[in-house]
Amino acid sequence: MQVTIGKVLGLGGALLGATVAAAACENKAEQKPGAAQSGALGASQSLKQLMEARGLTEADVEAALKTYVPGGKHDEYMIFASGGHSGQVLVLGVPSMRLLKVIAVFAPEPWQGYGYGGESDKVLAGGDQNGKRIGWADVHHPNLSETKGDYDGKFLFVNDKANGRVAVIDLGDFNTKQIVANPLVGSDHGGAFVDPNTEYVIETSQYPVPLGRDYAPITEYKEKYRGVAMFWKFDREKGRIDPAQSFAVELPPYTQDLADAGKLVSDGWVFINSFNTEMAVGGTLEGKPPIESGASKNDMDYLHILDWRKAERLVKDGKATTIKGMRVLPMKVAADEGALALVGEPKSPHGCDVTPDGTGIVVGGKLDTHATVYEFSKIKSLIDQKKFEGKDEYGIPILAFKESIRGQVEIGLGPLHTVFDDKGFAYTSVFIESVVAKWSMKDLKVTEKLSVHYNIGHIMAAEGDTVSPDGKYVVAMNKMSMDRFTKVGPLFPQNFQLVDTTGEQMRILVDAPIGIGEPHYSQMIKIDKLAPHAAYKPGENPYTGKVDPHAVLSPKDARIVRNGTTVDVYMTVIRSHFVPDRIEVDEGDTVNLHMTSLESAEDQVHGFALNMYDVNVSLEPGKHENISFKADVPGVFPFFCTEFCSALHLEMAGYFLVKPKGG
Amino acid sequence: MTSIAADSRNPATFEPTHRRLTVLKTQPGGRHGAARWGVIGLALGAIALQVASFFQPWWWIKLYAPQYPKGLKMVISLTGVTGDVAEVDILNHYIGMAKMNDAAPLERQLAGYGIAFVGVAVLAVALLAGKRLNRLLALVGFVFPAAFLTDSFYWMYRFGHTLNPEAPIRLPPFTPQLFGNGKIGQFMTFAQPSAGFWLAVAAFVLLAAAAFARSRVCAGCARRGTCGAVCADAFVGPSAGAAS
Repeated sequence: MQVTIGKVLGLGGALLGATVAAAACENKAEQKPGAAQSGALGASQSLKQLMEARGLTEADVEAALKTYVPGGKHDEYMIFASGGHSGQVLVLGVPSMRLLKVIAVFAPEPWQGYGYGGESDKVLAGGDQNGKRIGWADVHHPNLSETKGDYDGKFLFVNDKANGRVAVIDLGDFNTKQIVANPLVGSDHGGAFVDPNTEYVIETSQYPVPLGRDYAPITEYKEKYRGVAMFWKFDREKGRIDPAQSFAVELPPYTQDLADAGKLVSDGWVFINSFNTEMAVGGTLEGKPPIESGASKNDMDYLHILDWRKAERLVKDGKATTIKGMRVLPMKVAADEGALALVGEPKSPHGCDVTPDGTGIVVGGKLDTHATVYEFSKIKSLIDQKKFEGKDEYGIPILAFKESIRGQVEIGLGPLHTVFDDKGFAYTSVFIESVVAKWSMKDLKVTEKLSVHYNIGHIMAAEGDTVSPDGKYVVAMNKMSMDRFTKVGPLFPQNFQLVDTTGEQMRILVDAPIGIGEPHYSQMIKIDKLAPHAAYKPGENPYTGKVDPHAVLSPKDARIVRNGTTVDVYMTVIRSHFVPDRIEVDEGDTVNLHMTSLESAEDQVHGFALNMYDVNVSLEPGKHENISFKADVPGVFPFFCTEFCSALHLEMAGYFLVKPKGG
Repeated sequence: MTSIAADSRNPATFEPTHRRLTVLKTQPGGRHGAARWGVIGLALGAIALQVASFFQPWWWIKLYAPQYPKGLKMVISLTGVTGDVAEVDILNHYIGMAKMNDAAPLERQLAGYGIAFVGVAVLAVALLAGKRLNRLLALVGFVFPAAFLTDSFYWMYRFGHTLNPEAPIRLPPFTPQLFGNGKIGQFMTFAQPSAGFWLAVAAFVLLAAAAFARSRVCAGCARRGTCGAVCADAFVGPSAGAAS
């Protein structure tokens, strides 16, 4: 084999890494290869020509200069964005707006070997509902873990609106560690968000159902259907949600929507908005109005105000009932004990965002032109004085709207979500108008509107929902892109627009097409708050954080052990071979593959795929995987590496032979 | 040469014993005495440097390739190889080269004893050698750096000439470069001695200086005519250099 990869180093002998190519550099060794290249454009004259040739304006060039991040330099911020229907989380860099990673969360993902026979199957199984594997998700709201109301860069939580689930992602390895399934309801929207110290990951339901999802006729909607606010207890030490320590608070069958946790002065409280307080249930086939009109009759819906620390105490005091294994605090108890109240909010609202100082709660009108700013201190004092306007039909006290608010901001058509900067400004997404409205929190007046493209849903600002927003950037997350990108068929990419908020006027810097789902919320964190590692410790199981009991740390320990009809294979994985590379079993055997990557170098990844058995895992440096399956198809099946690990990657292969019964 | 004036200021000089007076004349407080202690000082300094070198890296090599933008670094000390050894071993297996830490097993085990031996040898030569054996001092200092270089070259040669013929990539035998820039496959290499080696060289320089100084002292020694293989005065002994 005369690959002329050249001679080799001796005592430091060495060869081929991944690519054999390159080499051409003539640099002296101590000067690192790839010295800076100077641009061809020296003179401003040629820059002008280039602008003309490409049809760029000066504003375009300025935006390009503000966002261009050359290879080798790094972004300033990282965005964790909902991947929408993909069921995954997208990671983008700011200001480049380049996609850095798609974190597999609720749906199998082949590259990360997520859900194809390895340990991650157990994580996905955590999201089973009614004993059934749910193969997709609609990821809505990523939330970073917080310490004292500020992002700490340790964990990320996301909800699956479609199936009522919450996932925990560890930002040590950007890997999903846990999925919990809400046993009470089937959909959630207010979540996943956290309290300022991430004691709980909070998830509030969307479409009311009988709690526990049992059957009850739709005619018993008011009596039997309910919503919940779910408080998943987060064990930071373990990095996992502890369902046994979690609880829910029963809510009336108003369709609860978005929610946010109080911070600073309002810490200990949760605010949840709702629509369809009309409790419309449709019936279009019977000639009744669809939910869309039935739910839009009232001029006011209800903002729910929940004292979760009090609710937690009541649950601890045994005031909860248990449904499907989950402790649920009845809303009657919560209301009677002063833990739950309602206040009107205009009309079919959307967005529910607590201001950085924790004193205000901003709710977008959606079908009303205002954003309403509630004053927490007023709400608190009304509740403390038990000064109520009345009660709803479930006995929950209602506060007077006028006495609960700081004021209303005339925003425009379809205000939704609001985020904040460091200079006392708020930025509200305005869906119908397709604008970002910037307004002052001092006088509740809009100072500027920026057209975005198009139909903005969520909006996000740099650390804009923490106690200390950074300012600088806002991202408009648009539902439509229309003419903004090259056509790719009838399903258009969504459009993230990075907005510069540092100047006199807001300026769009870059459009980033999102072609993998309809993203909802996202969060932006300063890069220096993150400290992901580049390798696992040798033999580490990423899901336990410990060296796996089946880890194989040397090829000398590689072996095949048969025990009745169970075959345990202890395998090492290193460039560019598996030990063992021949496995022979009998049809019907249970096969357990235990494999450890003996690599330690950065970015030196192998895959292990066994064809026809739907097995594929990713083996990052040091990682251990356990794969278990039944050898139910006789025949000969090659297994091989699925990451181009080295020049001999294709040679990194072996055979799995299944002897037929009686053969 | 002790001056009378100096002696008169020193109460000790008035001690009336014969022996004391003899000692005074010849004791290492005079010009030759200072030189003798200087030689010993140099020798002790050299030993200290040599011992320090044991705890320092002796040589390092850095390998650059496109896919290793930070480079791979291996650091060789008298007791083993550290750094990106695992990665280099993985790369080397493609050409059938032995593992880095399989090199020089005996040498690595004996290095500590070697340092101790050098220390003892230096002291022995400095104190006991007769005037013709002064050069031994420099020679003892020369042993370690020279042995290290020779041995390194030997192991490089051996590693490059005992490649496993079953390896995926077969190369003609070769000997890697010990100093400076090199190129191996897609790797650009840079190798050079490190602190430990230079400390040993410095020790050698001190010992060479000590040998020279010692030869000057011996040349002026009262016993130079009768000096054999062994210094009768243990160089700085009580009657060292006594006037004949």
